[in-house]
Amino acid sequence: MEPLISMGVLALMGVAATIAGASEDLESDVGSQSNPNSQVQLAPQMMFPHRIYNKAVSGEPPSNALMCAIGATGAVVLMGEFNLSPLFALVIGALIAACVHGTFAMTSTMGRAASQSRFKQPVYLDMIRSHTPVIMAYAFITTFCVLIISYMMNVVLGHPFPLPLLAFIWGITIGAIGSSTGDVHYGAEREFQQFEFGSGLNASNSGNIVRFGESGLRNGYDNSWFCAKFGGPVTGIAFGMTVFLGSWITTVFDPAVSITRGWLSAVAGVIIVFILIIWNRKIEVAARNNYGPYKEDKPEEEAAA
Amino acid sequence: MIDLAANLLWMFLVVIGGVLISWSVHFVPVGGAPAAMAQATGIGTGTVQLAAGAGLTGLISAGYTMQVVDNLPLILASGTVGAMIMISVTMIVGTWVYVYGVGCVPSSAKVKVDPITHDRQDLYVSQGTEGHGLPTVSFVSGVIGGALGGFGGSLVYYALLKVGMGVAEVDANMIGLVAIFAVGIFFVNAVIPSYNIGGTIEGFHDPKWKKWPKAVISSFVATIFCALVAVIAISQLGGL
Repeated sequence: MEPLISMGVLALMGVAATIAGASEDLESDVGSQSNPNSQVQLAPQMMFPHRIYNKAVSGEPPSNALMCAIGATGAVVLMGEFNLSPLFALVIGALIAACVHGTFAMTSTMGRAASQSRFKQPVYLDMIRSHTPVIMAYAFITTFCVLIISYMMNVVLGHPFPLPLLAFIWGITIGAIGSSTGDVHYGAEREFQQFEFGSGLNASNSGNIVRFGESGLRNGYDNSWFCAKFGGPVTGIAFGMTVFLGSWITTVFDPAVSITRGWLSAVAGVIIVFILIIWNRKIEVAARNNYGPYKEDKPEEEAAA
Repeated sequence: MIDLAANLLWMFLVVIGGVLISWSVHFVPVGGAPAAMAQATGIGTGTVQLAAGAGLTGLISAGYTMQVVDNLPLILASGTVGAMIMISVTMIVGTWVYVYGVGCVPSSAKVKVDPITHDRQDLYVSQGTEGHGLPTVSFVSGVIGGALGGFGGSLVYYALLKVGMGVAEVDANMIGLVAIFAVGIFFVNAVIPSYNIGGTIEGFHDPKWKKWPKAVISSFVATIFCALVAVIAISQLGGL
């Protein structure tokens, strides 16, 4: 393929991945999923009943992989059996996935809230009615973008894996990235804003999540509003970078042209990884200097005495 | 008739790949739910999830390379590099979030000084936590873990596709079947080490890392069965 066309396809995939990453993280913030949800779940048991949507369908990677695989399977059936155009098929596939995800989200939050009735945790039906469509909408955007990436890899870049399998693997990857990056902003910062910034979460404060908003009780909307400023976009950048850099090295140094080119692509990838290691070190040093040590360094004999 | 003897070499490679995946998971610095609350060092997600995310991204790269060339070292290298890129991008963005979004210093509570940079760690651990973020040693350990996982995953895929090639022409069905088995074997071997890790591990400097032989032996046994089933299934269904 013309290098320029494949670079264009790559750029489009990068954009779709960035949008998918951001919407994946916000979907898990508005509905509260993955590791930070352990605190939402713990809160009523520590006598802090709340009005936060509590859907931990499963870990984020399996739930996103399920969504994307359902969407891709639907799209493949529509394209293969009904000769639908790919754009319509991908949209309808993503819609089916969003509906399935909405069902899971609703049953899990109702089950969780109801099982905590002994801790006086109410089931807010109005909250469930208002949040579920938002969760489904984010799930639709995520699935659609992942399907676009997988479709372009499969059809345009000629990847041998079938579309549902590619979508499944990218679903696992996007969930792993979302749960590792953006969710930390929700779990470590937004849920515990009442404690001093930068203190981490003292184990004795577990379960004491912020339950009051600017006006009234805090809900999932407030959390996604906050995380949309940092956690969501950086998750998008992370997934966009993974998709873009992973494919960029084989597009610029195409192994199909010659074996040497293939090895150059591996070398380019290793150089990228080294740059990222050095970058991490720079940030670490800057943080150490700016935030300073939290304890004084006592000499050994003094500490022993 | 299924000829297991003819596929012994490929089964051996599958087992080696599975063992490597199991070993790789011990390197990945994951802190589980506590890390997501800046309460423990590492990436704030589950062991299996991150290892699988990285290794399967490597599988996508390896699958693409195997389509265009038949050169085992190059296929393994592309799988390795794909996984390394995914995990290092995830970790660098994780560092952004820990430092700029949550405001804590990357530090480890398991060691007093970072074995690579020789920086003091204990002075930077916030009260009531077991470290937070990704100090350099954890980052490097994560890259090694991603690399081994990508390598192992690609080896499993390569070996199983070779089994398939012995039965029928390679087509989309065959590749789908082989890739699903590769993903399945990956998950089996990513789950076994979680019993060693028990939710959190900081990398190769963590005392828990020394427990890896137990997981590797268990994975060795489990992967032999996986390889048997995979070879039988691919030999029977490969020509679909």
